[in-house]
Amino acid sequence: MADKITGLANPEQGTSRRDFMAKVAVAAVTAGTTIPRLASAQTAAKPPADPAGVISNDVVMAGKDAALKMHSERPLTASATAEFLADEITPTNRVFVRNNLFTTEFSEANHVVEIKGLVDKPLKLTVADIKSMFKNTSTVAMIECAGAGRTAFNPVPRGTPWPATGGMSCPKWNGVRLGDVLKAAGIRSDGAHVSFTGADFGALPTIPKVARSVPLWKALEEHSMIVYGMNDGPLPVVHGAPIRVMIPGWAGSASVKWVAGIEVLSAPLKGPYMDSSYRMPRHPVAPGSKMPEDAVSTEGWPIKSMITNPAPNARFKIGKPVLVAGHAWVAEADIERVELSFDEGRSWQNAQLNAKAAKYAWQTFSYAYTPRGPGYMTVLARATDSKGNTQPIVTPWNPLGYYWNGIHRVGFSVES
Amino acid sequence: MTLRQRYWLAAGAAICLLGASGTAIAPLAAQEQIAPSKTLTPGKGSELTTARCVICHDATHITRSRLSRAEWEDNIQVMIKRGMPIAPDEIPVVVEYLATYYSHAAPPAADSAPVAASAPAAAAEDPVQKLLTTNACMACHALDRKLVGPGFREIAQRYQGDNAAPEKLARKIREGGVGAWGAIPMPPHQQLGSADLALIVTWVMRQK
Ligand code: HEC
Ligand code: HEC
Repeated sequence: MADKITGLANPEQGTSRRDFMAKVAVAAVTAGTTIPRLASAQTAAKPPADPAGVISNDVVMAGKDAALKMHSERPLTASATAEFLADEITPTNRVFVRNNLFTTEFSEANHVVEIKGLVDKPLKLTVADIKSMFKNTSTVAMIECAGAGRTAFNPVPRGTPWPATGGMSCPKWNGVRLGDVLKAAGIRSDGAHVSFTGADFGALPTIPKVARSVPLWKALEEHSMIVYGMNDGPLPVVHGAPIRVMIPGWAGSASVKWVAGIEVLSAPLKGPYMDSSYRMPRHPVAPGSKMPEDAVSTEGWPIKSMITNPAPNARFKIGKPVLVAGHAWVAEADIERVELSFDEGRSWQNAQLNAKAAKYAWQTFSYAYTPRGPGYMTVLARATDSKGNTQPIVTPWNPLGYYWNGIHRVGFSVES
Repeated sequence: MTLRQRYWLAAGAAICLLGASGTAIAPLAAQEQIAPSKTLTPGKGSELTTARCVICHDATHITRSRLSRAEWEDNIQVMIKRGMPIAPDEIPVVVEYLATYYSHAAPPAADSAPVAASAPAAAAEDPVQKLLTTNACMACHALDRKLVGPGFREIAQRYQGDNAAPEKLARKIREGGVGAWGAIPMPPHQQLGSADLALIVTWVMRQK
């Protein structure tokens, strides 16, 4: 019998994953009464094997720098911390990884993005169409998971345990302006939001697709892009190849990977990635409390900075200058100043700010500090934006642990 | 030029950047992190909880959490919205397990012989059972009842005496398909080789 089965392959007769997912969306399988108890022997301790069309974590991580540490295996999440992120433009192999579902591989030739909804002329574009029909451009821009730094909250909220300085990157993105594509489809006057849906899939057909929406003004902002390359090289599969969205400076979930659908809507999208994840209370809530009913969707990151040099616990000599450097960023404003303190916040001095690479890039700061005495020291960095917002000492707690932007503090030793 | 290179030129001074230990001294409010376990603590309900919960994500999503009973109840409702198949009568069992082992209170010691109640130890070693669990077949199928797909017993009964059935079923499992039992399709399982398929199909056909 085994021999006969080997000759099975006649793939056209099968159901493709994509067909499958599409059909299941209609034939919704919910936790109804027909679902019975288990058969015997349910002993799997590990999640079921990856299905076809999925790139394994081992393959993804082999393409990454050793500085990237995995925070969860399914879905795959990994990041490097501040001391490994000193570059003004984050190298591709240090860009953090945040999947919601599997690392799914799609052929560039067959992948289609549909532009639909409140548009005059719906479009179905291949990657080649996108590259040839619209002006190719690039920008350096921040992408940061809403939960970046989550483990700095107390108590630590549920969700990916991002380190205090992990879950953010600032690579160069190659692609076309999202606004150019939307305008080609002709946005109708009642269009006010734009949703993005990924083609990636999870372990069960009942899992909803990853989908988020942003207000139209942000989609049309000239740095919002449909992206096919990173740092002038190919876009890695784990970062959404062949094509993804990039909404600069906003909580990373808006930048949907493996994008297959772009829809102009009159109101924000509904769905689990809008109504259950990626929500923030309007006002601070007591640590440990539930998400208030009137919570709002995550948008742009507030003012934030981190120290990339010195590395934690580095050792220096008295009288020799120490490079203190790092980055500061904010989504919808400019950086006004970055101040440093070497005495636990009793006094502050301005660091030097370098020009930033692009509107939504992080801005590097530096300062030469010459230690005058021995001992264990700390440096604190605090940034202020052009709207007058300064980083808090500790970010107000929120149920999903988003937008950690508390002051970063690094310790180092000075020896004689 | 990287910032670091530029600084070296500017400062012209030897700076020793030693001991990049990677353990950032925590921001002011941070807590010590302990690596969460990759498997659920054995205990009453751990098997069912693993089968229902360790599919879309690994077990660390649970083992790193400490929630109250009410929060676990909410969490299960959220997971159902995320597409989790679970029977109503299974929910209290899973909640009881989670609230016992993953609450704010210190958890009880792992139960040393929990498996015996629901599955004989031998079954865990069985290669077919292993294939069915590692490939998530049991997320959609049960032995004796319809889940997302038909029960294996029902399948065996339908194809009893049909000599072409084993090959047909193997192909169906490998390539996926719809229409034999209803409007919900089965996804393809292209990772399964012919030997594994033969084992599974032989087992399915014996379930009548
Ligand atoms: C159908 C898929 C699916 C199943 C089955 C499932 N979950 Fe989840 N679960 C999710 C998704 C999606 C998330 C969000 C994960 C992320 O961060 O990407 C999640 C997150 C979590 C989290 C992290 C907290 C959070 O809110 O992000 C916990 C805890 C959790 N699940 C527990 C469970 C338990 C307990 C079960 C079994 C009763 C279960 N899950 C079954 C999909 C599922
Ligand atoms: C995501 C849910 C899902 C998973 C996972 C799944 N199945 Fe199925 N299976 C179904 C559905 C739905 C059907 C009914 C399809 C139909 O109506 O044609 C089915 C049908 C079958 C049949 C009967 C086919 C026929 O044509 O009569 C067999 C045998 C089977 N599955 C075995 C398996 C095995 C073995 C696995 C694991 C390798 C598996 N299934 C995994 C949903 C699933």
